[in-house]
Amino acid sequence: MSAPEVYNISQGPITGHAFNADRTQVAVSLNSNDVQILSRSGNDWNTTETLAEHDKIITSIDWAPNSNRIVTSSQDRNAYVWQQTPDPQTGRTIWKPTLVLLRINRAATFVRWSPFEDKFAVASGARAIAICSFDPDNDWWVSRLLKKPIRSTVLTVDWHPNNVLLAAGSADMKARVFSAYIKDVDKRPAGSVWGEKLPFNTICGEYTSPSGGWVHAVGFSPSGDVLAFASHDSTISIVYPGGPAIYTIRSNSLPYVTLTWTAEEALVAAGHDCQPVLFTGNASGWKAAGSLDDTSAPKSAGGARSGFGGASPVGRLNSAAFNTFRNADSRGLGSPGGANSGGSGDTELFTVHQNTITSVRPYEGGPGAVTKVSTSGVDGKLVIWNVSPVGALTAKLNAVRIQ
Amino acid sequence: MEVNFRKIDIDAYDEDVLLETELYDADPRAPSQVIEETKAKAVAVRSSLNKGDITGALVTILDNPPYGPGVDEAKNLTLQTLVTVLNSTKSSDIPNVVKSLPLESQDILMKYLYKGMAMPGWGDVSGSVLLGWHEKLTEVAGTGSIVRAMTDRRLV
Repeated sequence: MSAPEVYNISQGPITGHAFNADRTQVAVSLNSNDVQILSRSGNDWNTTETLAEHDKIITSIDWAPNSNRIVTSSQDRNAYVWQQTPDPQTGRTIWKPTLVLLRINRAATFVRWSPFEDKFAVASGARAIAICSFDPDNDWWVSRLLKKPIRSTVLTVDWHPNNVLLAAGSADMKARVFSAYIKDVDKRPAGSVWGEKLPFNTICGEYTSPSGGWVHAVGFSPSGDVLAFASHDSTISIVYPGGPAIYTIRSNSLPYVTLTWTAEEALVAAGHDCQPVLFTGNASGWKAAGSLDDTSAPKSAGGARSGFGGASPVGRLNSAAFNTFRNADSRGLGSPGGANSGGSGDTELFTVHQNTITSVRPYEGGPGAVTKVSTSGVDGKLVIWNVSPVGALTAKLNAVRIQ
Repeated sequence: MEVNFRKIDIDAYDEDVLLETELYDADPRAPSQVIEETKAKAVAVRSSLNKGDITGALVTILDNPPYGPGVDEAKNLTLQTLVTVLNSTKSSDIPNVVKSLPLESQDILMKYLYKGMAMPGWGDVSGSVLLGWHEKLTEVAGTGSIVRAMTDRRLV
């Protein structure tokens, strides 16, 4: 398995990232009010444009591959759609923002284009999801709100491939599937495992993990017939609505906060554990197949670890800092920075990402056949991973608990 | 300056407030049934202990524990019974006992360890015994089990 491509974008956190269709540009927000568009030049990413219009922190970005439009959501309760148009004065191509009337009174938390790119969904702290569609008569984006029966902040959404159904994860510990059917935009969808008649705001399913926890990430499988969600109790649940079966995989590490399907029988999840983990399975059961990261050794050359610890089975505790303190405790070895420590590598984790991964997205390959995924996180890194065949990973199955 | 308004419970005036009980599925059993079951389990645990079957005793007491409001008596009896099991286990046996528990029981045991640590001096609760179990359980079940003990609203 080849090594992941690692790009250090920033010292601080990356709020979210979205690539354009040909992967030559990426839109990121560095925990600020602005979106930066980075263009690839060799092995570097350079800022070529800054999209400034929001007046509070940006929470989420999505880039529609075919219509080449960017949508951003922010804590200022607004969303903007950005479109490339020639500047009337200079003739240069610029990204022009269009305000979206969201009608929410709390922060917008998450945004995603629908598969046909004629709608997008904005999750919010106002216990509502705004489904936005373009109104050509007035030349603006209008929204309809999905409200019932959401009881708390919506943290994440994902579109079904049919452009009508929407999955949402919320801080009231529920993952739900809604109909976001808009009469003027959508054709009547064919019936599916989620239901036959689907007027706006139909609840097609409501699921929760046995031990609760905020639902941080949801995702439909490529066919749309299976739903996966990750919650703050360190579990991934996979729902077969026709089954009816829910498989809950307990992780023995910290919670996952983001996930993406790579094939009909495989998904990648990542989060506070700082490494992307591949899960595989089908209607008869699911399991963790292994980490995409090689956590057996520190990543930087200067980070030689002290000779004792070895890989601790306890997830994120697998760090040089932890080993230093454990050695001090169990062997009476000197203070941090003492004789056998690795100097600057003292606090280095053995994972590529040095902090929580907040976003994992498909990078290469179409739906159902994703070969590479990209991740970004609190450590300011953008990493592109190969999703290798399962066989190569099973051998590396490292302290990932299976149920 | 008048600051008493800060003490007003504004949630009481919010018709749409999210209640604790809406965050988990209520126990389908009636409180009287729960206490009956708990008493029966306490008896079963004693007979397991007499046979030296620690794992069996733990699985019994950790199966379907009482949670939610109105079952305090059953909760206390469960904790008391569990603490008896924990205290009577030799520390060298703990790793194997923990490993042989089903995943569900491991998570519930973690919940009781934290509950016990929050009640120092209650009954026979001993902090050092609980910490010993906690260490071994974390080695087997990982930090994920601790996270689940914190997120689960089905308080035991």
